[in-house]
Amino acid sequence: MARQVARLIAVLLIAAAGAAWASPGDPDRLKTPQTPWNRLSPDERRILQPVAPEWDRLPGYQQERLKGAARRYPQMQPIQKERFDQRIRDWAAMTPEQRRAARETFQGLRKLPPDKQHELRERWLQQHPDRATPPPAPPRNAR
Amino acid sequence: MNENEFGAKMKPWLDRTAAGIGEMQATRLKAARLRAMDAYREPVRLLGLVRVSSGTAQTLRYSVVQRSLLWLPLAILIAVLAVRSASEPDVADIDVQLLTQELPPDAFLDQDFRSWLGKSQG
Repeated sequence: MARQVARLIAVLLIAAAGAAWASPGDPDRLKTPQTPWNRLSPDERRILQPVAPEWDRLPGYQQERLKGAARRYPQMQPIQKERFDQRIRDWAAMTPEQRRAARETFQGLRKLPPDKQHELRERWLQQHPDRATPPPAPPRNAR
Repeated sequence: MNENEFGAKMKPWLDRTAAGIGEMQATRLKAARLRAMDAYREPVRLLGLVRVSSGTAQTLRYSVVQRSLLWLPLAILIAVLAVRSASEPDVADIDVQLLTQELPPDAFLDQDFRSWLGKSQG
């Protein structure tokens, strides 16, 4: 009996270690199934419209992340919605490595004190004046 | 019939036949009796409800402790994973924050920006 329990626990430990290895930070290993564009809800299709042409080529895990982002869309401020709409297509076009690197740098930035964050943002925007976010546009009727 | 009644019934028969056995067998029987007496423990109550022999109680106790020890590593692993997943922000959350903040996402791939960040962190 004890041997059976030990065996069961060993199997569970191996399974848990496998699950830990394939952590949420690395879900491409989990082979998330793809969701066809026509299976998205009308709201998801409207919010994710900028990536519609590429949608069916995106891997399942990336589709899930975009769907997760779309679920947060209604709570965004108008300026955030505008930025999201402008950037989502380029974001989806990046390679997984580029997105991972961008997230790491972004999280590194967020760990700095607010004044340091502001200083770095300003410094980058001064070097790239054409990339500054335009002032908020009037709200669109469609959204 | 309980153990004591059975012993009482057996005693006269054993006394009668004890005289007929040899010295060697008597010694072996005495040794066996002493071992049995030595191993005998008073029955114990489990949780004040059920009365069980001390051997059974010991087996149960051993079984519970042993199983607990076997499950302990799994419980620790599950707890570690739960804490880890609770402390790790959802990637979709990070993506939304990254896409909606002031700088465009490609700024975070810019070598200059990363170098400034590295210096600020150091």
